[in-house]
Amino acid sequence: MSTEAEIDKLVRREYAAGFTTSVESETLPPGLDESVIRHISSRKGEPEWLLQWRLDAYQKWLKMTPPEWAHIHHPPIDFNEVSYFSAPKSMADRPQSLDEVDPELLRTYEKLGIPLHEQAALAGVAVDAVFDSVSIGTTFRGKLKEAGVIFCSISEAVHEYPELIKEYLGSVVPQGDNFYAALNSAVFSDGSFVYIPKGVKCPMELSTYFRINEAKTGQFERTLIVADEGSQVSYLEGCTAPMRDENQLHAAVVELVARKDAKIKYSTVQNWYPGDEEGRGGIYNFVTKRGVAHENAHISWTQVETGSAITWKYPSVVLRGDNSVGEFYSVALTRGRQQADTGTKMIHMGKNTKSTIISKGISAGRSENTYRGLVRISPRAEGARNFTQCDSLLIGDQCGAHTFPYIESRNPSATLEHEATTSKVSDDQLFLCRQRGIDTEKAVSMIVNGFCKEVFRELPMEFAVEAGKLLEVSLEGSVG
Amino acid sequence: MTPAEQLKQNSVTLASNAQHQDGLAAHRGEALDKLRLLPFPEKKQEAWKYTGLNALTAGQLERVAPALSADADIASSIPSLGDCLIVVGNGVLTGQLPAPNGLSITPLSADSINDASPDTFFGWLNTASLSHGLLLKTEPNVKVAGIVHLVFFNQAQTPCHATNRLQIELAEGSELTVIEHYIGSGPILTNALTHIQAGANSRLTHYRLQSESADSLHIGNLQIDQQRDSRVDSSQLMRGNVLRRNDVHVRMLESGADLAMRGVFIARDKSHIDNHINVEHVAPHCHSDQVYKGIAGENGRAVFNGRIHIHQYAKGSDAGLSNNNMLLSNEAEIDSKPELEIYNDDVKCAHGTTIGQMDAGQLFYLRSRGIDAASAKRMLGTGFVNETLHAMQDEAVREWATQWLGEAL
Repeated sequence: MSTEAEIDKLVRREYAAGFTTSVESETLPPGLDESVIRHISSRKGEPEWLLQWRLDAYQKWLKMTPPEWAHIHHPPIDFNEVSYFSAPKSMADRPQSLDEVDPELLRTYEKLGIPLHEQAALAGVAVDAVFDSVSIGTTFRGKLKEAGVIFCSISEAVHEYPELIKEYLGSVVPQGDNFYAALNSAVFSDGSFVYIPKGVKCPMELSTYFRINEAKTGQFERTLIVADEGSQVSYLEGCTAPMRDENQLHAAVVELVARKDAKIKYSTVQNWYPGDEEGRGGIYNFVTKRGVAHENAHISWTQVETGSAITWKYPSVVLRGDNSVGEFYSVALTRGRQQADTGTKMIHMGKNTKSTIISKGISAGRSENTYRGLVRISPRAEGARNFTQCDSLLIGDQCGAHTFPYIESRNPSATLEHEATTSKVSDDQLFLCRQRGIDTEKAVSMIVNGFCKEVFRELPMEFAVEAGKLLEVSLEGSVG
Repeated sequence: MTPAEQLKQNSVTLASNAQHQDGLAAHRGEALDKLRLLPFPEKKQEAWKYTGLNALTAGQLERVAPALSADADIASSIPSLGDCLIVVGNGVLTGQLPAPNGLSITPLSADSINDASPDTFFGWLNTASLSHGLLLKTEPNVKVAGIVHLVFFNQAQTPCHATNRLQIELAEGSELTVIEHYIGSGPILTNALTHIQAGANSRLTHYRLQSESADSLHIGNLQIDQQRDSRVDSSQLMRGNVLRRNDVHVRMLESGADLAMRGVFIARDKSHIDNHINVEHVAPHCHSDQVYKGIAGENGRAVFNGRIHIHQYAKGSDAGLSNNNMLLSNEAEIDSKPELEIYNDDVKCAHGTTIGQMDAGQLFYLRSRGIDAASAKRMLGTGFVNETLHAMQDEAVREWATQWLGEAL
């Protein structure tokens, strides 16, 4: 098969997670005002302070305008066209265990390769599955409880651990942080809550799987992870959505708190529906992710971004404590007419803080892929250290790859390095592989895999496999 | 009225006052119309994120710099760097225009002016307030002997505004070496705009030396357009002062163009310096290479923004940018933002930025050999930027630069 034909075949390959699940849903009519927020809050039986917290956020949001600085283009979003809450009907009277969950829902997750039944679960990964606006089940809760680890949906946590939620919710990403974070704070529906007590190493990987199913809905989940002194946790996040012609909104907030000597590793494989070849449909993914690292703490973000029509996402670390460490490893792949503006922020405040940023951008088709990052060294951050590497790979002459790093240093004992390169898949490398009998498709796959290797090796094993597969679907052979 | 609106109003007053009848009136009028539409630069604009214009006062935007008094001693402050000296004092030409072989030097006229101002507030303000400009034009296929040394001397006791305008046009196959040299003192704002058009196969060696005293202000625009196979070699030496901002915009419009650009910027003693470089590869097979070195000490603040933009049809582009910075004190700040914007896959692009400090081991080594701390630091600072000075082709400028560097450090 000629290379051209291979490209065609691969580029046209369908989005595998694009099916819809027919479950009866209860969905709020589109539109946003205080009554919607009150409805969401009362539906979840939330305490008064949380309702007030949401309303505060809503007031702040009303005064804000959507950010325009990102290198993305889309028609203005009509926030009154979006439905802010959707839940499968069968969840109305909450099932007590996974056995009571609608089998249709469980089948959805099985189709996606996420077995929710504990006996079927892969070597000890606890999963919280979020379907549209609600969490439908969390596995391995008993085993985690033995270790003292709290892993549940955030709505449950509000009832069961109100003091923890009150202390930490909004402590990293305040309500008025930015336009989408304020929107999320007002209408967030569900998400995961994790608390690792002092000195505990979480006995298994924790994972959340997000799925948007209902049409014309937005998903606004909120994740809060608190790792108390000396604890450790590794958390995975995955996402998919059906193929639809309209754009759907996803505005999430993730907050991480790593107390003294704690370690949090947060990995994401994001595969929301990217829209079709002409750019119709797809998810608008506007996400705020941030972690605060206290003394000697370690926060690591790893992300593989292959989906979404638009990605706007900057997982950040505030290195507040001395000797804290922040890491960001990212592979962002765009094709078709996808647009990604993603990167990180490393705010160095403590002494001897260290950060590493490795970002790999791959753009193909008519897509636009942007790395945007900030490294800020405050005057107090003696001996801070940053290393940043951003590499871009372009496939085809109609795509774009951009790098916008902001580097600000106010301490003379800090050392910062930034380097970026942009290139295409080298003809020499391709030729070498072809010469040794490796076909173009395989060769490109090898080269791209090599390009992303530094990031993939940071992923937990299960995710590394999924990430590799995702890249294959989207990339192999798309070089002429 | 916000402070920014007030300053804009002051700028419009300056431009309106300049609307006397001469050949350039129409150009000024058009620029004034543009100026009225543009917002005054503020920190909330991305291009001015790190540079506030609080230091500007109404007079610096409103009042035209008075003519230099006849007894002003300019000559003694001008080093002998070139073979052909032209002095512009507070925006007005002083003395006669020389006429070297192969180069015509004339006042800028309505017919010859390149009114495609850089689309910035101060670019349009320059045109809107322009009364005297200079045009350097080479004859085709002539190598102009010697160095043309242009001195822009701006000095005043009270806050005022001086407009400097220079246009350099290299005809096909010609060669020229030019020094653009800014000196002066006092609370005067220099608004400098230089247009360079490098014709096919031409060679330009360009120096931009900015050593006004620490109390003056400078906002400069440098626009370079390159035609087929032209080569531009530009060196820029800049010292921070109350406010210094340089916007450099290079467009490689035809294939085979080659650009080598290097700069040294030093911000000390509460001074501020902001460099915005934008290199656009519009045509295929062009090559650009940039090296910028920055030093910030005491309360100084240095900003660097280097953008490389590869257009969709610019295949075979080769672009590199390196920005190394040294931070010398706890109160100093360096903000660097190298950018890549790329729309073609057949390219080779890279940029690198570092921010660091003087190596303690190296300092110790020098001290252990009996060199005092200040000298040792100067030696290391010189070593840090030497690479850029060595790349300067002309001996006389290189020597001046070494001396300049010693003083700046």
